[in-house]
Amino acid sequence: MVRAELSKLLGLPTAWIGLALGLIAAPALVLVNTPGMRQAIESGEVTDLGYENLGIGLLGALILGVVAVSSEYTSTGDDAPGAHQMTTTLLAMPRRSHLLLAKGAALSFVVAVQGALTASATVLLTQVMLPDHAPPFEPARVAAAVLYWTLLGLLAFAITLIFRNGIITLTVFIVNSSVVSVSYLLTKLTPWAAYLPDIVGAHMFLRTMPGETHIAPLTAGLVMTAWVAALLAAASYLFTRRPA
Amino acid sequence: MIRIDRVSRPRILHEVSFEARPGRVTGFLGPNGAGKTSTVRILLGLDRASTGTATINSQPYAALPRPLTVVGALLDGSGAHRARTARAHLRWLAASNALPRARVGEVLETVGLTEAAGRRAGRFSLGMSRRLGLAAALLGDPPVLVLDEPFNGLDPAGILWMREFLSRCAAEGRTVLLSSHLLDFPVDDVVVINRGRVAAHGTLAEVQGDHGSLEDAFLALTGAASW
Repeated sequence: MVRAELSKLLGLPTAWIGLALGLIAAPALVLVNTPGMRQAIESGEVTDLGYENLGIGLLGALILGVVAVSSEYTSTGDDAPGAHQMTTTLLAMPRRSHLLLAKGAALSFVVAVQGALTASATVLLTQVMLPDHAPPFEPARVAAAVLYWTLLGLLAFAITLIFRNGIITLTVFIVNSSVVSVSYLLTKLTPWAAYLPDIVGAHMFLRTMPGETHIAPLTAGLVMTAWVAALLAAASYLFTRRPA
Repeated sequence: MIRIDRVSRPRILHEVSFEARPGRVTGFLGPNGAGKTSTVRILLGLDRASTGTATINSQPYAALPRPLTVVGALLDGSGAHRARTARAHLRWLAASNALPRARVGEVLETVGLTEAAGRRAGRFSLGMSRRLGLAAALLGDPPVLVLDEPFNGLDPAGILWMREFLSRCAAEGRTVLLSSHLLDFPVDDVVVINRGRVAAHGTLAEVQGDHGSLEDAFLALTGAASW
């Protein structure tokens, strides 16, 4: 079943857009951002060099998490507007909880492989570009970034499953992570907002974060896992009970 | 063997019961909105009945370990994501039920889509979409076929092909249940549903009774004669 879900996910052009974006964005940012980073070095604000560029790689994980579900619910054609692939999926794999496990596993695997490649490339590229200032390659921190992406992919997966529509998830996450971070603004109101899933996760691999709250990487990881687990539980509760 | 036993859903189905037996084409007939699709979806585990049971070879659909090897189902549309090629669609389906990959080529050949195997499902004509749906249904060489309005969207040649194909399946000993609002195909057994209730159930001769033809029987049973 996992093999079927892998083949399904990797057979989608949109999934490859997610993969390409995820792979390219963070290393590209290193290249573009090098002059900026030099300035930052001169003014003495360097702690997360290389690692801070990893944040943008989450786009790939988000897109993959969304399309893994939204592709099931897009109309198969104009002649049958109500028909979608999920019907075929459920006919082939009618045990819905098993299906979700297989889907989640396939998604996590793809995001993790992509994340490992991107994160290593980004950090190594920073060392090439700024050999004197780049922090050492820390496998644990890279692994934390990969875990962050995987959890974020699953988060997007769960939210899309709840709404059965990818646009909502993508809008919320992209607006929140690029245009204006509502979560970040909330941290100005209450320190508890730092525990929102998208912010807390970054504490897993960044040492300096905007905002006052400092959260230990392990705590951050656990809090984010709890968020993802809760949303996945809600999504699978709905999915196993709703008509297809 | 398909058994629907007192299946109900509020306002849609009322104690619907019938059987479809191996080696026979069972026509599940009724006007639009009579409850055909709801019954089929409950049988396939896509929707739930509030009471009653629907089983295939004595098991509910969701309990079948590799359902594609037991039941082939054709519902609305192609069932494939628009961006996927016909071949890629059938490949993941084969993987999901541990079916040999070679089946993909075989079923594409059966439904006459070999040439179009590399084209995206979203570019298929209505008739090709139905053929792709049928190819998916045949992938596991299932002894039971459940088809919801299989003639929809087919051109005359396609309808002729489908009719012969279904008769051949029944002759091979398969159980064929097909819902339709049309009556123009060979059936052995007939179930007439109207407003969520079974109006008649039996062999073609039994349901026709004194009405002379299946059309007349259907119109009398469903009260659609005012047309």
